[in-house]
Amino acid sequence: MATDTPTIDDAGDSLPLPTTIASGAVAAAVLLPLVWLVRTALDVGLSEAIAISTRPSTVQVFVNSAALVVVVTVASVLIGVPLAYLTVRTDLPFRRGFTIAVSLPLVVPSYVGAFAFVSAFGPQGAFQRLLAPLGVERLPEIYGFPGAALVVTLYTYPYVFITTRAALKSLDTTLIDAARTLEHSRWEAFRRVTIPQIKPAVGAGALLVALYALSDFGTPAIMQFDAFTRVIYVEFTSFGRDVASLLSLQLVAVTLLILGLESHVRGNEPLYAGRQGGRTSGVVPLGRWKYVAVAACLAISGLALIVPVGILLTWLAQGGAEVGSALAFRPAYAVNSIGVSAGAALVATVAGLPVAYLAAKHRSRLTDAFERATYVGYAVPGVVLGLALVYLGTSYAQPIYQTVYLLIAAYVVRFLPQAVGSMRASFLRVNPALPEAARTLGRSSFGAFRAVTLPLIAPGLLGGAALVFLTTMKELPATLLLRPSGFKTLVTHIWTATASGYYGHAAVPALILVGVSALSMLVILSQEGYDVK
Amino acid sequence: MKDHRSSRRRILQIGGAAGLASIAGCNGLLGDSSGGSGGNGGGGGGENVVGQIGSGRSPFGERDISGGVSMTEMPDLSGELTLYSGRGEPLVGQLITFIEDLYPDLTIRPRYNSASELVNQIETEGDGSPADVFFSVNAGSLGALKDRGRTVELPTEVLDMVPDQFHDPDGMWIGTSGRARTIPYNTNELSDADVPDDIFAFPETEAFRDAIGCAPTYSSFQAFVTAMRALNGDAETRQWLNGMLDLGLQHSYADEFLVSQAVADGELRAGFANHYYIQRVLAGRPEAPIATAFTEGDAGAIFNVAGACVLDTAEDDTLASNFVRHLLSAEAQDYFARETFEYPLVPGVEPIGRLPTIDELNPPENLDLTQLSDLEGTVDLLRDVGML
Repeated sequence: MATDTPTIDDAGDSLPLPTTIASGAVAAAVLLPLVWLVRTALDVGLSEAIAISTRPSTVQVFVNSAALVVVVTVASVLIGVPLAYLTVRTDLPFRRGFTIAVSLPLVVPSYVGAFAFVSAFGPQGAFQRLLAPLGVERLPEIYGFPGAALVVTLYTYPYVFITTRAALKSLDTTLIDAARTLEHSRWEAFRRVTIPQIKPAVGAGALLVALYALSDFGTPAIMQFDAFTRVIYVEFTSFGRDVASLLSLQLVAVTLLILGLESHVRGNEPLYAGRQGGRTSGVVPLGRWKYVAVAACLAISGLALIVPVGILLTWLAQGGAEVGSALAFRPAYAVNSIGVSAGAALVATVAGLPVAYLAAKHRSRLTDAFERATYVGYAVPGVVLGLALVYLGTSYAQPIYQTVYLLIAAYVVRFLPQAVGSMRASFLRVNPALPEAARTLGRSSFGAFRAVTLPLIAPGLLGGAALVFLTTMKELPATLLLRPSGFKTLVTHIWTATASGYYGHAAVPALILVGVSALSMLVILSQEGYDVK
Repeated sequence: MKDHRSSRRRILQIGGAAGLASIAGCNGLLGDSSGGSGGNGGGGGGENVVGQIGSGRSPFGERDISGGVSMTEMPDLSGELTLYSGRGEPLVGQLITFIEDLYPDLTIRPRYNSASELVNQIETEGDGSPADVFFSVNAGSLGALKDRGRTVELPTEVLDMVPDQFHDPDGMWIGTSGRARTIPYNTNELSDADVPDDIFAFPETEAFRDAIGCAPTYSSFQAFVTAMRALNGDAETRQWLNGMLDLGLQHSYADEFLVSQAVADGELRAGFANHYYIQRVLAGRPEAPIATAFTEGDAGAIFNVAGACVLDTAEDDTLASNFVRHLLSAEAQDYFARETFEYPLVPGVEPIGRLPTIDELNPPENLDLTQLSDLEGTVDLLRDVGML
């Protein structure tokens, strides 16, 4: 995939050694769990392995998963990019509020979202009962492909939104002004200037969406859509660890295929303006379109947030058996959630920095491989990755097994590409002339990085950290396997309620999850002022 | 140590002294009196009487502890115990906390997750597993750990507390409470007589067309199919499954609580579910039009158990097996009946709600619970007919 010659400076032959070592170490660390996968998959006999891989149903679920990935990815780009543009470049009212609202679907655990959509829009769901007086007997089928695609899109488009937003924030609008003075229409200017600039970021977000759609467990199961992961799930619940691992390796293979494809199409030409960090002035006036834009933002965030919260509240209102202290909410759960999520965001950002830097600035076969390696953990279903770390933890890291340290390590392995993708896109837009100028003015290379590059990539850094933070807030399977005994977070609390059938009791922690995440987003967004002047 | 013991005895005996008949409705050790219906009822006075775990409330009326061996007569527990619980915290958390609070020198570190994931976890942890005791929702996952050589034999005194059919023949695990397979039906749509006594008559029952549901990924449903394979063979089971699919079996539900809710809502006329889900729906909605039917002597009427085993990685086998013993105490058995609506397995403790007693059930003969751990063949079959 990386046969083309490096495009920037004197890359390839002169990789900065410390950064390369750091980057290689990170890549090796996130690939470690594969060792367990391979080991366990080998327990399946060869003949059985071939039989499993070639049975007709396996082929069918592959096709199903592929269709889901394509539809969800395209839809997420079509939703995420316009929303990012609206909240960054236009005079949309309540921009900050909408930025938070349209990011928040990311914190809704997909199994909660899917479950709520089934309850709301199922053939005889809440919505149908609402419409019953009007003579509506049955709603169109939500189960199957349409439901799965809808729900996965609604809860993953924020990946595209957040990465694109970061790119738009650091976009030098003088380029657009230049295009406009050259008599380009606004659309032409967008197509010829903005799109090439944000393409790597959109690609990074779309890749996250695609791989998420591929590896999601919960939604296909609830939507009764026969995706690849449903097969893995069935094996797992019937103690077929080995077959589940084998199937997960196939998932990894598909992931590599997607990564290869993405390498071909993604924009690798670095794009930068002469004077970067210029201005983001020149807000685009929406005029009458303002109302349409507001309605679109409201509709999308409303659908994604109000449906699950509303359904949970209905369950809560219906009451049910009183269940005593086990489901009483404690503030410590929120503190735990925020603590481990912030830890994961921080570690992922630090670990991802050298990988993203090399992949953007010193492109070579090796640096590409390092970057692509970070995606592997992300594409493995959480429960499989969790078990791999259970194995590594008990075998080689007993002192930190079932402590928050290993838990945070698991989050980093799972979500590192979210940070790397976002940061890499930012690095690509940094004009190398700027840090070079700093070097000629006597800065060390690290000094130049700190004084010049870092402020320029800050939006990407924060965007990536925000992604890791929000997804860690809702991570369940690895949390259940690796948390210290008795350690509870918001999402384990939601799980405790739903797993025992007390759906109503999931409403309060779910609301708190969304509320706490919104507050955290507010903090992250307030840091954005730090980027470009 | 001795002081602790005697003071504990005294606390527990206050309950005895006040007369077991007076316990119902009073507050437990946890002191959570909210929702305790008629906390002072039964003539026990206002004092905090210990013995009944939890708030003493029950949607099906109050009752006494009767029969079984009290925790007071069991060996003391001390030390640290790591409990992997496949049973949910809302269901058993109070019981675990009660036992922990009873002994000042006992620390229990519970770890809650689904039973199948905990089996996977224990297997993956290997020799490095911190787990001492595994508390599970079904015999299948206990059998899976036994088959992998991860269990140690329980002492005879513990095994003898339940009838032989409720523990592993080799003594590797023991049932702590029971669950019957049942047919929940909507009383507005059907009557008890509409539900056949024979599971094999179901595919021909037109009243069920497009309106009977199940949860094929749920372990208890898989145990039911496994039982049918064991009793009637794979061919007949496949035929039955295909017949049900032709009848329009709705096989989309994620668990059997949802199946029971759907029956109560009228979305389904009938379903396949463990008995306590129906009781749980009724506990929340006493007027819900849902009732319980049973088949007789076939796979549809199997009686499975939730249970526990001591793991080979247990640091202190004695502590671990004595903890399991506490799950069979009169107090714990009473708790299972009242709080989780299950069947107590220790003779003399009765179930609760609108349920027949354990002796009135008609589970199939010639089937023991160890036969239910072969899930793989069942999963293959369910996948083959298109239900998974």
